[in-house]
Amino acid sequence: MLEGITQEFVTIGWWPIVVTLCNTLITFLIIKKFLFKPVRKMMAAREEEVQNMYAVAEKAQTEAENLRSEYTERLSKAKEEATEIVGSATRRATVRSEEILKESSQQAAAMMKKAETTIEMERKKAMNELKDEIAGLSVMIASKVVERDVNEADHERFIEEFIDKVG
Amino acid sequence: MDAQITGPKVYFYLFGNESMPITETMRNYWIVMAFILLLCVFLTHRMQKVPKGRQALAEKAVQMIDDLVDSTMGEGFRSFSPYIMTLLMSSLLGSLATLFWMRPVTADLNTTLGWALITFALITINKIKYHGVGGYLKGFLEPIFVMAPLNVLSEVATPISMSFRHFGNMAGGLVISTLLLGALQALSHAVLGFLPVPLLQIGIPGILSLYFDCFTAAMQAFIFSMLTMSYVGAAKD
Repeated sequence: MLEGITQEFVTIGWWPIVVTLCNTLITFLIIKKFLFKPVRKMMAAREEEVQNMYAVAEKAQTEAENLRSEYTERLSKAKEEATEIVGSATRRATVRSEEILKESSQQAAAMMKKAETTIEMERKKAMNELKDEIAGLSVMIASKVVERDVNEADHERFIEEFIDKVG
Repeated sequence: MDAQITGPKVYFYLFGNESMPITETMRNYWIVMAFILLLCVFLTHRMQKVPKGRQALAEKAVQMIDDLVDSTMGEGFRSFSPYIMTLLMSSLLGSLATLFWMRPVTADLNTTLGWALITFALITINKIKYHGVGGYLKGFLEPIFVMAPLNVLSEVATPISMSFRHFGNMAGGLVISTLLLGALQALSHAVLGFLPVPLLQIGIPGILSLYFDCFTAAMQAFIFSMLTMSYVGAAKD
């Protein structure tokens, strides 16, 4: 320690200026390394995080949008299908009912025809029976009336011819 | 009493070489540097994603300097922010050192001249960077070649005026404070000589110190940084 030695009030020297430059450089490095670097790093990290969050949110939104449109599509498709199902069922029911109606009318017609045939047959049968009866009766009456030896077979033939002409 | 106004004390000579003194200014600058280091480490200690307290302060400071650099120098000069911060803090704390019974670092012409020379170097480097050596030399002939001596003079005057402005303000404050202290001591000795302490020295220098130390310190630190920014920023055009 040099007691009492002081510099002039205003001095310029290369040495103190060099020391000032060195001091300033060191201060600059201190501030850069211990203040700006960590703060910038932290800010960058935060910015990145925010950007990541935004990206994730955007992705989620897009996904949700996609899902929504998919569901809407599916829903509309399901509605369409339901409409189709109902329509086809109605159509089928209509066809079926028409078929049933047709079948039943056919059956009815067949039954009618059958009944008519049966009636006709019965009628013919009855007619033949009636003819036989009448022929027998006629022959009997005639033989009773004539009382003569007439060939029964001939008479019967005559009478049948007669009835045929009449009937 | 006679008020002594001297330059910084010399503590010893490095390697016994008389041209390499270790002065009070240097010691105080080192103390300021240590304080800045502690402050930076303290402010950025254990940083978290969500800023809180001192970390918010550090981020606010960095952002403020970045904004200042952006608005004064234009875009693309963010790499200057740490240096501007260095200037601001060194100048402000170096001047405010006087509040802690230390000789202000900036009340030594060598300190401010050193900073001004850095500014001068930055201006020149930027001019050459953006205009080339030819463009830089040609700039001295604007608007006509007769102006060349004046242009050189104004270029050289920049660091000189910057350093003397800062130095003069702080040294002036120091001189006035010392003079006032001496005057008050003499006055209290004459008027209240029966008291063992110079009573009038209490209070009044503090009020003046508010202006000469606090206000001027902040003002000059800001002016020096702003001038550096605007000169270096203007070197681009």
